Amino acid sequence: MSGGGKKARGISQEGIVIAISAVIFLVFAVTQPVFRTPENILSLIQNVSILGILAVAMALTIIGRGIDLSLVAIMAVSAAWVLQLSNNGMPIGLACLIGLGLALLIGLVNGILIAYLEIPAIFATLAIATAAYGFVRSMLLEDNLIYLKAAQDTWFKVIGSGDVLGVPNPVILFAIVALVVHLFLKHAVKGRFLYAMGENPSAARITGLPNRPMVLLQYLLAAAIAFLAGLIMATSVDSIETRIARSTLVYDIILVVVIGGVGLAGGKGKVRNVIVGTLMIGILLNGMTILNTPYTIQNIIKSVILLAAIIVDSVMNPRDEQTSQQGDI
Amino acid sequence: MSFRRSLARARYKYVPDHVLGELLSKNWVDNAIPVLILVLTLVVLGSLLDGLVSVSSLLGMSAQYGEVLLVTIGMTVVLLAGGIDLSVGSVFALANFVMLALFNMMGLPIGVAIFGALACGAAVGAVNGILIGYLKLRAFLTTLVSMIIVRAIVDMLLLSYAVKIANPVTESAFWDFISFETLWGLPFSFLAAAVVAIAGHVLLTRLRPGWRILAVGGSRRSAYNAGLPVKRTVASTYVISGVLAALAGVFYASRLNAAGSGTGAGLEIVALTAAVVGGNSLGGGRGSIFKAVLGAVIVLLVTNSVIRLGLPAGGDSLVLGLILLLAVGIDVKWVKNRSKLVSRVYVSPAHMELSERPETAEGSGSPYALNDKLADVELIGLGQIDGPEDPVLDEDGNIYAGTRHGDIIRFRAPDFAEPEVFVHIGGHPLGLTFDRDGNLLACIAGMGVYSISPQREIRKLTDQTNRSLTSIIDDSRMRLADDLDVAPDGRIFFSEATVRFDMSDWMVDALEARGNGRIISFDPASGKTRTILPNLRFPNGICMCRDGESFLFAQTWGCSISRYWFAGPKTGKVDVVVPDLPGYPDNINRASDGGYWVALVGMRTPAFDLILKNPALRKRMVERVAPDEWLFPNMNYGCVVKIDIDGTVTDCLWDRSGTNHPMITSMREHKGWLYLGGVSNNRIGRYRIPGADPEWTAAKSYRGEAA
Amino acid sequence: MKHILKMATVAAALAAPAWAEKPDDGLVHESASAMEGKTVAYVPIAMGFDLTEAWASGLRKDAEAWGYNLTIRDPNWSVDAGAQALSQLITEKPDVIVVHPPEIQAYARLLKQAARAGIPVITMNLKASENTDYFIGADWYDIAVQQTEQLIEICGKSNGGSGQVAVIQGVLTNPTSQYGMMAIEATMAAHEGELEMVSNQAADWDASKAHAIATTVLKANPDLCGFAGMWDNMDVGIAAAIKEAGKQGDVHVVTSGGGNKDSACDNVENGNFDSYISYDAAGQARDLMMAVRAVLQNPPEEAAAHPVAVYTPLKTITKESLYPGACWSLDDLNTYGP
Repeated sequence: MSGGGKKARGISQEGIVIAISAVIFLVFAVTQPVFRTPENILSLIQNVSILGILAVAMALTIIGRGIDLSLVAIMAVSAAWVLQLSNNGMPIGLACLIGLGLALLIGLVNGILIAYLEIPAIFATLAIATAAYGFVRSMLLEDNLIYLKAAQDTWFKVIGSGDVLGVPNPVILFAIVALVVHLFLKHAVKGRFLYAMGENPSAARITGLPNRPMVLLQYLLAAAIAFLAGLIMATSVDSIETRIARSTLVYDIILVVVIGGVGLAGGKGKVRNVIVGTLMIGILLNGMTILNTPYTIQNIIKSVILLAAIIVDSVMNPRDEQTSQQGDI
Repeated sequence: MSFRRSLARARYKYVPDHVLGELLSKNWVDNAIPVLILVLTLVVLGSLLDGLVSVSSLLGMSAQYGEVLLVTIGMTVVLLAGGIDLSVGSVFALANFVMLALFNMMGLPIGVAIFGALACGAAVGAVNGILIGYLKLRAFLTTLVSMIIVRAIVDMLLLSYAVKIANPVTESAFWDFISFETLWGLPFSFLAAAVVAIAGHVLLTRLRPGWRILAVGGSRRSAYNAGLPVKRTVASTYVISGVLAALAGVFYASRLNAAGSGTGAGLEIVALTAAVVGGNSLGGGRGSIFKAVLGAVIVLLVTNSVIRLGLPAGGDSLVLGLILLLAVGIDVKWVKNRSKLVSRVYVSPAHMELSERPETAEGSGSPYALNDKLADVELIGLGQIDGPEDPVLDEDGNIYAGTRHGDIIRFRAPDFAEPEVFVHIGGHPLGLTFDRDGNLLACIAGMGVYSISPQREIRKLTDQTNRSLTSIIDDSRMRLADDLDVAPDGRIFFSEATVRFDMSDWMVDALEARGNGRIISFDPASGKTRTILPNLRFPNGICMCRDGESFLFAQTWGCSISRYWFAGPKTGKVDVVVPDLPGYPDNINRASDGGYWVALVGMRTPAFDLILKNPALRKRMVERVAPDEWLFPNMNYGCVVKIDIDGTVTDCLWDRSGTNHPMITSMREHKGWLYLGGVSNNRIGRYRIPGADPEWTAAKSYRGEAA
Repeated sequence: MKHILKMATVAAALAAPAWAEKPDDGLVHESASAMEGKTVAYVPIAMGFDLTEAWASGLRKDAEAWGYNLTIRDPNWSVDAGAQALSQLITEKPDVIVVHPPEIQAYARLLKQAARAGIPVITMNLKASENTDYFIGADWYDIAVQQTEQLIEICGKSNGGSGQVAVIQGVLTNPTSQYGMMAIEATMAAHEGELEMVSNQAADWDASKAHAIATTVLKANPDLCGFAGMWDNMDVGIAAAIKEAGKQGDVHVVTSGGGNKDSACDNVENGNFDSYISYDAAGQARDLMMAVRAVLQNPPEEAAAHPVAVYTPLKTITKESLYPGACWSLDDLNTYGP
């Protein structure tokens, strides 16, 4: 039902990406001894784990035929508010709850705008990204950059900076998030509904699926996951820069999601695809950083390889004029 | 009571209810929302900021506006074809860099430098276009990647050349002019954007490539199946977008003479926002350049004002986000509900009071009394023809009739066995007649008046008349040309039943009972088309009187027949010949005894006569009841009436069972037979007229050979 | 129009200025009236971070004290919006424009236009290629030279270090990077053999990007001795990466910034930064106040004809030199003034 459509016709995009990643991995592993050390592999995953967690959240919304461009903003402002509340003397646990509430509130607004006011997701979330950042920054925060100070020596700090048996916590959290979402999508009734809704919203609605509440759920989940990513980011660098809400990070997230084979048109893809996409980006970035490739060149190489992957996919699985969907951009 | 009634009559006569629906169904009404947002923006921001709405302030924005507009137009064209171009910001930065590098650093001539910059934009656009149009990659993803690649290339180049390219090694009067001077107080970039906007408007509304873009965006699959070059069209939109973004980048170079990593960053969001706030839809097909112009104004006003408001950090983002949300929200609701709104308000009934309905009961002694004369009608082409509204016979006795499929079918005399397609013409051919040279003239619903020669050559006679100044609907085009006749001087007079409804909804016009129709004359000698009698209640049949100076015409919803003089001493006068028919008259044709046959397409009913007096009731009905349940005039049962020139009824033919001819829209006498047509029948009837002149034909009558 | 002017004059006369009561020492009345009612426009890269807020706090204090109007145009990190704000200001003709250019070239032509329009301009901290009436700010070359020399002291091969250092830049077209890289390369060349640059990347002023790069660089270069950063707000990411790798004390961070307590002294105290070169944004704020006063009282006859350079004195903060008052806090600044 899901993700299988492409496989039936030929080599899946996922397969292509795995193949490309494997080739790159081998090249780096053979030429760079540092690259193949277990520590480096872990740090490779650690470096992309926040990206990966956000990508899982993005995949949730894309599978349900939406998109959430406000993920980065939610992540930044909710985590920043947690830090600020705690710096101002609030117990960190309570601050976390309030921060989660803020993230869910933004997710709820997204959902309401998309489900009930029927504003296209791409615009609703784009506008909310801007408005939410603006609201929190101007009404709640004292600075762009909020340091982790008061909660420096509590359990909170461990979220993004500790490790279990040598495996960094961000990697573990990425794995947990991926697993939970995977189970949700695969086995929960609501997860199956999400695929049905993404595949064909009208049919889902006629069948009696609660489309609108499902859309709400989808954006609430995404917001909660983004909040977790924010905590990891804040605790791993001891601060959070809210300006990241206005960066192009969200494009990277979309790329990661789509490169692994999650269809932008909805209804297709699994968490596995997101992991594949994340690892590919991780291998590329890590390898190039070891090679001391300048940042701009890294960008070019990364994008060219991504472009190659989608071209190969398009050649292997051409879209048909008769079956392509209108408005599927 | 009677005062109330005359009050109601006056109210429905003078209050133009129909205007609202006509306004809402105009395409340009889509622009109402962005215009409203613009006005709101101006009012709110203008009151918050002194001097925002001033010439100097607006002029201060005009250079930036020119650049944003160029990019927005490019984005709009891509959106219209169903794509999206996220690479515009990077292309903008690339063109800016190339322009400065070629001109400032390498000292190339200004023309070469500008061409180089535009070529870079075109190249990126072409890459996007080939990938998306020909290789069918996804637009969002592809342009996202090309945005990142181009941006990275620009950053890399900047690293080495950022400082060098800012110091010009050469000079150019033209470049200095673009950079510093203004024409009529306006910067060059603004004027260039205005020219591009006008060109783009012409392209999209008047030229074939533009129509193709809209067709592909509207429905890619249909465009592909219709044989349009979908791939090329899609690809070309990205090239357009690339070139326009590059042009904007060139103007940016002239304005700031600098390149940095922030140049053009986020421009894709600005352009996308502008395009959508202006009312262009994501996903294609719906939009215009004017909307892009409006959207760009709104976005620029808001962003610049927000900076000037001096809000606390982040406040600007809050305001921008909310405005974007509001604009898109309103637009979405508008697009979704506009058609619902139009269908609710479009039908606007008018007041009408018919006089007493003449008796039709059998044995009542009324001239309209029911009989069964049509019981034994012969049937021609049963099941082989669909909707012969007005069959006509040539001198050899062959029958010609239009069909709903846009054909004119011919049944050959004498046995009328097999139909053949005489011509395929399109539309729904309604009233037919022969002119003196044997050409078949046809009124075609949705198209106009056409002439078909005996050699089957189709020629358009007219499809538009003079536009009346007070009409909101474009009444110059012909929506429902219905019946026609040719005057002795060669002029063609034809009726257009209604200017407010298409053929498919012609019955809804009855609910309005307003004078929505008109009679138009076309003079083949001068080629001029003129409306001569406006505001008629569904004018239908037209038939020349034998005096050569006047014709009879029927008003279907008016249940009357009138006579209009187009020549002679009474020129321009209208007389009512039959004021109160028991049914709805359709076509009128000459009879062999000097009278005129009139088809009654349906019979009046007391219920419908009653609600005609109550427009408010009809309005409520249209608003609240499903169309299937609307009370319509009875169109299931009719008859043929023969009148003389004074309106006296001399004969009446009924089909009591209603099986042979359930609906009669026309009848033609030919050599002692009466041929019957019906716009929703699947047959032509043939009735032997007792005692009629067996040699009489309409053609002879028009030539004046017989009475 | 005339009527309105008259009304305004009357209104001004009614609300007699505070200084009118004071005895005239020969200058105080004249200088005060020269500043009263003038307009000062301020276009930072963005509001909402320590540097620009510190400068704004100084301007606000003075605007209140001397009765000039302060208008702040916040382009919020967008170069294009900043350029537009600047061109808008040129048509509005304020009495002085304070500008904080995001890139070396971006505003050059607009600054020239402002000069032609006769508007005096004060450039803050980031030196644009175009000279204006005043430049108040850090000398990025000097800072990077000092940073490199400190790295040589800590990591230099002759001082027993491994000599391996990594550079993490901000935005590449920014003067900090442009002149900073020249300085680092020149200083390393001057002390040949002491240092080896094993990595040179840009993190776009983004702490999490810096964190990711630093993590990999640390793994890739086990013998790494030090990082040269370019802005405290970004370099906290490097420090966090070092802490995670358990290498605090082994790998050193030399950075620079505006000397805000949260970013500077706190981070030096807890060992995140080994050495911090402060260009003291609070002092810059005071310099800015004075420059604005000077320009308002004595507008240049020809704008930008005689640029005045006010390079900020640099202050190195290490654990040893961490005296009370080495840093400032924005709250204090807003309450007590620079």
